[in-house]
Amino acid sequence: MKEIATFMVNEKHYELAIEPHMLLVEVLRDELGLTGTKHSCGIGSCGACTVLIDGRPVLSCLTLALTVRGKDITTIEGLAQGTTLHPIQKAFVEHGAIQCGYCTPGMILSAKALLDKNLNPTDKEVKHALSGNLCRCTGYVKIIDAVLAAAEAMSKEAHP
Amino acid sequence: MARLLRPFEYRGPQTVGEAVRMLSEYDAQARVLAGGTDLIVSMKKRQISPRYIVYIKDIPDLNYVHYSQETGLTIGALATHRSIADSSIIKDRYNLLATACNKVGTPQVRNMGTIGGNICKAGPSQDTPPVLLVLDARLKLVSLGGERVVPIDTFFLAPFKTVLQQGELLTEIQIPNPPPVSAGCYKWATKTVAVDETLVGVAVLMSVDSADGVCTDIKIALGSVAPTPMRARQAEEVLRGKRIDDRLIGQAAQVAAGETRPRSRADFRRRMSRHLVSEAIAETWKMIR
Repeated sequence: MKEIATFMVNEKHYELAIEPHMLLVEVLRDELGLTGTKHSCGIGSCGACTVLIDGRPVLSCLTLALTVRGKDITTIEGLAQGTTLHPIQKAFVEHGAIQCGYCTPGMILSAKALLDKNLNPTDKEVKHALSGNLCRCTGYVKIIDAVLAAAEAMSKEAHP
Repeated sequence: MARLLRPFEYRGPQTVGEAVRMLSEYDAQARVLAGGTDLIVSMKKRQISPRYIVYIKDIPDLNYVHYSQETGLTIGALATHRSIADSSIIKDRYNLLATACNKVGTPQVRNMGTIGGNICKAGPSQDTPPVLLVLDARLKLVSLGGERVVPIDTFFLAPFKTVLQQGELLTEIQIPNPPPVSAGCYKWATKTVAVDETLVGVAVLMSVDSADGVCTDIKIALGSVAPTPMRARQAEEVLRGKRIDDRLIGQAAQVAAGETRPRSRADFRRRMSRHLVSEAIAETWKMIR
């Protein structure tokens, strides 16, 4: 039986009737049309389905949609302001940190969770923060470079 | 593997009392859902298809880390690995527990998964049980009939099997104050797989007489090398009451490796046990002497 759930996605309020066995990734992609969140391994290994719930990265493929009642969800669609990319997105483009792009939304959201708390991370802290996101194309070096560059850009923006 | 779930009936109790009433009524047809990082995977693999899912994470007051000098540390079963790893009192006084929680899964899994789930899953390779064994943790189990507190060394029965009865819910982990002059650490080796599952995990807690430098007590526990998390009691005997030196550490590590009962990759697991026990004792000894 469907149950009503209300929650925020990218600062927009939603009230939906949801089957209890629906996963958050299904609701985001199939009900809300937010297909930036990827459904890949389905068992919590790859991180492609990462979204932020109340600012923390979690796996939407292992989250029942009903359990996000009252929560604040950020998906990759919530980062750009119109056509202006978020500094992390911009850095990924500039550093060639995207190849096939499938891991990118998850990578960027994990990076955002880190940089929202720490604008001056070390190489090691970036690797630790991204350790739950697998990339099979880039070899990670350019991704880490991009996050460090984004940190620098964001910190300049915060303290000009 | 199916990536979607089969339908089930969802229950979201708001109190522990409500939760145990549901668990008792639905009996074997129900499963408890907290962080979901394990249960949802098992459901997708069709290893289990529960008729009822009892989601306990909306119950307030089960997600906490409290410390007092009199009672020691108490952790709510719903505390996430992240919150335990970040807790300043745990980093300060129970650093090995913070280390183990920081080792579990990935950042996302640590944000979702709870210590209660890590314990109750009772897989041989969970990271927190060896640490909780050396810290003498006790588990509060609540049911309709009341509550009981069991020492963690009697909790695990077999792989994925514990003394937890149908209708019983783990609500709290209780950890006494560590002995006055003591230190500990957690060391591990992983399988090379996507989520770095632990191949061998070793926890050590040692106390020393500060006057003469003798090891007055030591506890050594290992994960992933036997059907359940285990203490290496014979290895502890090698060191208890002695002045620690490299030769003695080597001897204890060898005895500990002999006490393990790995089911697969036995030779490698024993060698790694020996290496990690030796490393863990040496590191602990360095911290404390």
